[in-house]
Amino acid sequence: WPRCDPPLLCPAGPGGVAVPRAGLKKLALPPDYSGIVFPEKPKLKFMDKVPAVPKVRREPRRLRDIRGPSHVATDFTQGQYGILALGGGYLHWGHFEMIRLTIGRSIDPKSMFAVWRVPAPYKSVTRKSLGHRMGGGKGPIDRYVTAVKSGRLVVEVGGRCEFGEVRPFLDRVAQKLPFPAVPVSRESLREMRREEEERRQNNQNPWTFERVVASNMLGVRKYLSPYDLQLKGRYWGKFFLKHRV
Amino acid sequence: ARSPGEGAVPGPALSAVPAAWLPALQLLRRGSKAVTRHWKAMHLQRQKLLAVTEYLPPRPAVPPRCLPRDAPQAHQEDGHARVLRRQAEEALRGSRMLAVCQYNSMPDEDVATLRHYLRKHNIHVKFVLNEVVRPVLAQSKYRNLLPLFVCRNILLVSPETRAREMLRVLKGVPQVTLLGTCIDDTILSRQGVENFARLPPLEVSQGETVGALSLLPSQTSSLLQRGPAQLTALLDEHIRRLRDTGSSQEAMEPPQGQSSGNH
Repeated sequence: WPRCDPPLLCPAGPGGVAVPRAGLKKLALPPDYSGIVFPEKPKLKFMDKVPAVPKVRREPRRLRDIRGPSHVATDFTQGQYGILALGGGYLHWGHFEMIRLTIGRSIDPKSMFAVWRVPAPYKSVTRKSLGHRMGGGKGPIDRYVTAVKSGRLVVEVGGRCEFGEVRPFLDRVAQKLPFPAVPVSRESLREMRREEEERRQNNQNPWTFERVVASNMLGVRKYLSPYDLQLKGRYWGKFFLKHRV
Repeated sequence: ARSPGEGAVPGPALSAVPAAWLPALQLLRRGSKAVTRHWKAMHLQRQKLLAVTEYLPPRPAVPPRCLPRDAPQAHQEDGHARVLRRQAEEALRGSRMLAVCQYNSMPDEDVATLRHYLRKHNIHVKFVLNEVVRPVLAQSKYRNLLPLFVCRNILLVSPETRAREMLRVLKGVPQVTLLGTCIDDTILSRQGVENFARLPPLEVSQGETVGALSLLPSQTSSLLQRGPAQLTALLDEHIRRLRDTGSSQEAMEPPQGQSSGNH
């Protein structure tokens, strides 16, 4: 893309002539990596396609494990950077392999490490064979998946590295996930939460979704789900509405 | 629409509550589940509710861009800048001659040669950054040299005042131009430095001054002795003349005097 240098601000010298000058170089201190603890194995563990004890009984779909905000794995434990899910979805073995190989290719195991924050696929998903009519019972188990709700961390990366080094490959991984995801660092996550809270506090609109639904103004609860009391208008199905307060 | 749960619960309590506990059955008959892969179409009432309860950002009466901006915070002092400033202060303290020159880029070996030649005359070359040197100068006695510190410049400091050698070396280097000097608390321009260089050295001028001052006292004794000296000369001349005439008379008389003396 075209590169343009920013215009140099030349302060006017004596006589009104612009005098360009270079100042003293301000040297920044190198980052401090003293408080970092490496796990035993710096690379991501291999996740099985099928759990060790495969399920016999086919389980119902239970899509509520995708709906709404996550209450587990929402904060960092070991690493400094990670991938935050901004929507709900299922991760299957192909996604796990993609994450494992991409991150394994991009990190240096001597100075960086990565950690899973989601379990191996545990939920069985069935599929009927193609081209048949409805009926004839539930289909056989097709594959196993992991449910991820929005606001959950998928992987964590840490070590002697900066966010700028880690962000490119985390971005590539995040784009390939079945739900919207962003790479985050501890500071950026804190900043995100703080901004969310600030928006909630200084909202000038006296009518909030929460207030209207809780007191059932105008009988809107006829058109809403009972779950909307907790979801407060920020979630619709598996989608997370970022712009809503 | 009557909800199916109404029959199971005692009547009077629930008849007061509107039938909004469960979603209307009509909605659930033909629609999809709650969680879908596609974006499920929202009921118009829900859309209206979301439109009404949108986020409204705060709007202050005076927009913040019309208010005066915060005063720019004084940036933190860099340790490196502090060290450089201390070095500049030391250089200024122990110098009698301070010359400010404009520096245009020279090859490195030429810079080294210049430093060598000036060092032979005990002149030190210092490369200074304007932002480091300006506060130092403002507090010292060289306040009036501040307008010279624009663009790249170098300082030539020396505990002695050997302007002639400095000018000779700088004449051979076209990339360094002398802007101004401060010698012994006197600010001199380029012309002033050249005149200063043309002056004789201190001892010679001191000797000349002493000689000029002591010219009159040295003449006092000769002045005082002039009268008696002239008198002595006159008397000497007179005696010589008398002796000359007396000797001619005595040349005739002494043989008579001698002969009479002999009798």
